[in-house]
Amino acid sequence: MERVLRSKEMAEIRLLPVRHHSPACAFHVRDVIEKWQPDAVLIEGPDNANSLIPIMTDKETHAPFAIYYAYHDKTGIISEDKQHYKCYYPFLEYSPELEALRTAGENGISSAFIDLSYGEILAASAQGRGLLKDDAKNSYNDDYLLTRNEYLKQLCEKTGLRSFDEFWEKFFEINGLYEDSETWFSHLLTYCALARENTPDEELAQEGCLAREQHMASGIIQWADKHKCGDGKEQRILVVTGGFHTPALAKLLSEENNAKAGAKAKRVKKSDIDKNQSVYMMPYSMEAADALNGYASGMPFAGFYLKIWNGIKNQAAISKPYEAAVLDMLVAVGKEVRKSEDCLSTYDEICALQMARGLSELRNKREAGAYELFDAVLASYVKGEYNIATDMPVRTLGRLMTGSGSGKLCDGADVPPIITDFNMQCKSFGLKCDTALENELTLSIFSGKKHRQISMFLHRMVFLDTEFARRVKGPNLQLKKDKNLLREVWKYKWSINVHSALIDVSVHGGTVEEASASLVGERLKKANGAGDAAYLLTQVFEMGLSQQLDAVYDRVHELILQDTDFYSITDALRSLMMLDELGGLYETGLEFGALLHTAVRKFISLLPSMACIQDDTLTECMDALKLLYQITRRKASDMGQEREDYFDALDKMCRAQNINAGLNGCIYGILYGSGRASSETVENICRGYLTGTREQLMQTAVFFRGLFCTAKDLVFIGDSIVGLLDEFFGAVGSGEFMELLPQLRLAFTYFTPAEIDKIAGSAARLHGKEKKDITELSEVLPEWYEYGRQLDEYAKAQMLG
Amino acid sequence: MQETIKPPVEERYKEELEALRGTDTGRVPENWKMSPKAVRTFILGSPKPIEYNGKEYKIEKKYFGNDALVERCIVTLAGNRGLMLVGEPGTAKTMLSELLSAAISGVSTNTIQGTAGTTEDMIKYSWNYALLLAKGPSREALVPSPLYVGMERGILTRFEEITRTPAEIQDSLISVLSDKVLNVPELGDDGFLFARHGFNVIGTANTRDKGVNEMSSALKRRFNFETVMPVREASMEKQIILNEVAKLADENNIKMEADEDVAELLASTYHELREGVSSMGHRIDKPVSVMSTAEAVSVYYQTMLTRYYYGDSRMSVDCLVQNLVGAVSKENKEDLEKVKGYFNTVIKDKSAKEGGLWKEYYEARKWLK
Repeated sequence: MERVLRSKEMAEIRLLPVRHHSPACAFHVRDVIEKWQPDAVLIEGPDNANSLIPIMTDKETHAPFAIYYAYHDKTGIISEDKQHYKCYYPFLEYSPELEALRTAGENGISSAFIDLSYGEILAASAQGRGLLKDDAKNSYNDDYLLTRNEYLKQLCEKTGLRSFDEFWEKFFEINGLYEDSETWFSHLLTYCALARENTPDEELAQEGCLAREQHMASGIIQWADKHKCGDGKEQRILVVTGGFHTPALAKLLSEENNAKAGAKAKRVKKSDIDKNQSVYMMPYSMEAADALNGYASGMPFAGFYLKIWNGIKNQAAISKPYEAAVLDMLVAVGKEVRKSEDCLSTYDEICALQMARGLSELRNKREAGAYELFDAVLASYVKGEYNIATDMPVRTLGRLMTGSGSGKLCDGADVPPIITDFNMQCKSFGLKCDTALENELTLSIFSGKKHRQISMFLHRMVFLDTEFARRVKGPNLQLKKDKNLLREVWKYKWSINVHSALIDVSVHGGTVEEASASLVGERLKKANGAGDAAYLLTQVFEMGLSQQLDAVYDRVHELILQDTDFYSITDALRSLMMLDELGGLYETGLEFGALLHTAVRKFISLLPSMACIQDDTLTECMDALKLLYQITRRKASDMGQEREDYFDALDKMCRAQNINAGLNGCIYGILYGSGRASSETVENICRGYLTGTREQLMQTAVFFRGLFCTAKDLVFIGDSIVGLLDEFFGAVGSGEFMELLPQLRLAFTYFTPAEIDKIAGSAARLHGKEKKDITELSEVLPEWYEYGRQLDEYAKAQMLG
Repeated sequence: MQETIKPPVEERYKEELEALRGTDTGRVPENWKMSPKAVRTFILGSPKPIEYNGKEYKIEKKYFGNDALVERCIVTLAGNRGLMLVGEPGTAKTMLSELLSAAISGVSTNTIQGTAGTTEDMIKYSWNYALLLAKGPSREALVPSPLYVGMERGILTRFEEITRTPAEIQDSLISVLSDKVLNVPELGDDGFLFARHGFNVIGTANTRDKGVNEMSSALKRRFNFETVMPVREASMEKQIILNEVAKLADENNIKMEADEDVAELLASTYHELREGVSSMGHRIDKPVSVMSTAEAVSVYYQTMLTRYYYGDSRMSVDCLVQNLVGAVSKENKEDLEKVKGYFNTVIKDKSAKEGGLWKEYYEARKWLK
């Protein structure tokens, strides 16, 4: 049973170990509270969330939801980088902590969180450990502490179970449901004590566990001191914490001085931290609450266990909740499988249920659980070899076991300022946020000021990943598409997830604009090269974050100078060119000339090293060459020198040994187009390949591809190029031709169908035929057709007869 | 020394099976020799030895890799459907089906060997024509097939390589599996053979040559399918090699101890070539030929035999590599090149890091030709 402690404060303190998210645990927690009727229930959880307890226990609030903790390290307590930090504390309907809060509320018992506040936990953790792990979705939940020790490994081996989760399900969930609460908690405590013993202290200190436990112990004592009963009656305090901490708390509380010392041992001033942290509640989804989705936040199969919880709560006696849930799931999966093309009979479902029951018996489980369910579907629903083509039933089961849907918060739940800002902006722009239907909006972004503002707002919402809006049409600066369009068409839809997403980014600022700007700053720090940074610049452009423009502009400049990746520079050039063309329309007042000059010079300096590329990067490289040709031509007036340097670099490339044949063709195309090479020169180069060794001859196809990419009009001047093509086809055998076909097909994609017809005509003339001889088939006369049909019928009759 | 090369499972583990039966306290399905729990213990081993007739029996684990799969197989066989084991060659499907039959029915030899030439009468029944002519159609003149025997006696029938038989012949199992009755029209009213409790079918099919895709869906519905995957851990593979080789050596009176270090070399080679990535993270070209654990056992055993009869009864890495060549160059020549590449990268790095036997192994690459 749980530890019972008597202290000098005349309080009886009971420590209840729990595992976050466990139906059986939640069930027993309620039982203990109702039977023991404590005066207070103290719960593991950052104490800066105490104000949220009334919202959590409100009848209108439905799980899953999460407490969202944010901390902005303005004073550099945690690291010099002064970053934003956030973490979640997810709750499901069957989280023991939530059940404890709810039961306490129903019985008029006071309750509170007793852990260090979020910022303090961060300050107590070592870099990269505990809540300072580099993870986008850090969870306050620390059940993982129970699952990774050597003791457990041996336990699983001995009991023949696959994992901690299966071990837990068998002993604590299924068999444990039928135990009385005292036995159940004493079993859990034994397990936790052994798990704790097998975890080194050093690890605990790094994860911040020791500091947290000290704080919790002193919190319990303080609470007891503060709420002493006047009449000399003994006070009863129930402490609900993760099982991993219970043995340590018991030890600390029994050595009272230790517990009190904890309060003094803090490294940082609480007030420094408190003013920089905030806490909110947000609706959560079942998918995000499932441990299998990579959010180590407790048990897997959230949807399955929710079914179990619904089966056991409010019931006088436990009667086979697992059996019912397994059957439900088998039928649901069967229904889904039948919807697809796979057939599945009722008999399959019967066999699956028998399998689940048989396995539970073989494995000494009182009822079949999640693992038997999985095995039953695998054995009875999957027909044939188990692989990607046949695993649909198992995938469906996985989805159903995760569950779907989101939680809901009651009215009056505190929201961060960013949501207030969002609501206000929606109102002022007339965006509908009271319907879950999708709305469409057309914005003339370059003519109406208000339209441009709405567009900026929507772009910011997209940047913040809120899934509120998406652009269906309009100039796309990132993909460099549709730059001639003057209007943007948007579709937007409000849902509770938009709020969750906004809360998620609320750590970055109080308004949508502020959060976007702050995130731009962070991305900018992480930007890998000039390409990335220029991409970000296009986004800043669309979002209209004029304050950020200069910083991003400078960073792009810096990165262009540092970057040595040819393709990254090309990407940057492409984005800059786009911005340069559209800068006037977006009215940013930013001048891109200098930046373009720097990028072009960098590009030219890298160019000669690109001569010997492989065929798989040929297209990209050719596009880059063409791009620069266009830039230097369009900006001829102020890029005269760069243009000369560019052609010099091309010249240098042509002289490189082993230059890629495609690139060679492409360069000669450009030189011809700019009047620096005559058609005869190009023909001579081509003939060089044709008459070269076998390997070089085979390269001719790639050469043509490059040539047609930049100078396809050469084909239509005289017949010489067509003649060369003809010669080439004559020189290769049919096997080789098949090998070359992909390259040739690529080469001819640069021509329109009409042009290909024209080329075919010239080719036909080379062989003494006319175009129509090869492009038109002669007509089949009706008499011929009739004769053929009769012949067929006659033959058929003969064969049958 | 035993007289046969490979005695059936029920012979080899006779005492173990008897001890398990004698101490079995679980519920036993009709006509089974022991309870499902005891079958599980027989195949997956028990941590504690069992005591029977004053003697202790240590039940070793006989099948490695996937305990849940074995449990599913046992439950399937106690139910109404047949069991179909599918997987790559050399993943111990046949061994598992033998173990299951020996434990459940006490016989693992009631087997149909599927080939392209298997006909319907080999599956159902045929006639002793001399008796048929002399006495007319009677039970005496009927030659029962393993399926017939299984139904008559209430034991398991194993159908090896079921997918090698033509699909229409496979389909003759459909009515037997669903109605549990076989009709012999020649015997008139007495021609109905109703299957006794305990009868079921275990099929095995290999996915490499001719998979189960061509099997009719009607027949598929009569089976629960279990896909047997290659062993996931190199350490387990090493254990399997050692166990199997010891068993083979014992059966053939080869008095030579298996060398654990050499088994480790071989296990990691097979494991890495099959998975396409080494324990040190190198990416490796996977050979086309089957790199199964069974193949590794045979390479090891062959080396052992050579060293026993022609050498000094100690394992040699040179000899191992020579046998490895024979095992991998079955399908095409490129495989050997891939193994060479593996030696020149992975084994080279390991020999530099670990030295010792790995170094010898690397030097033995000269035999790869």
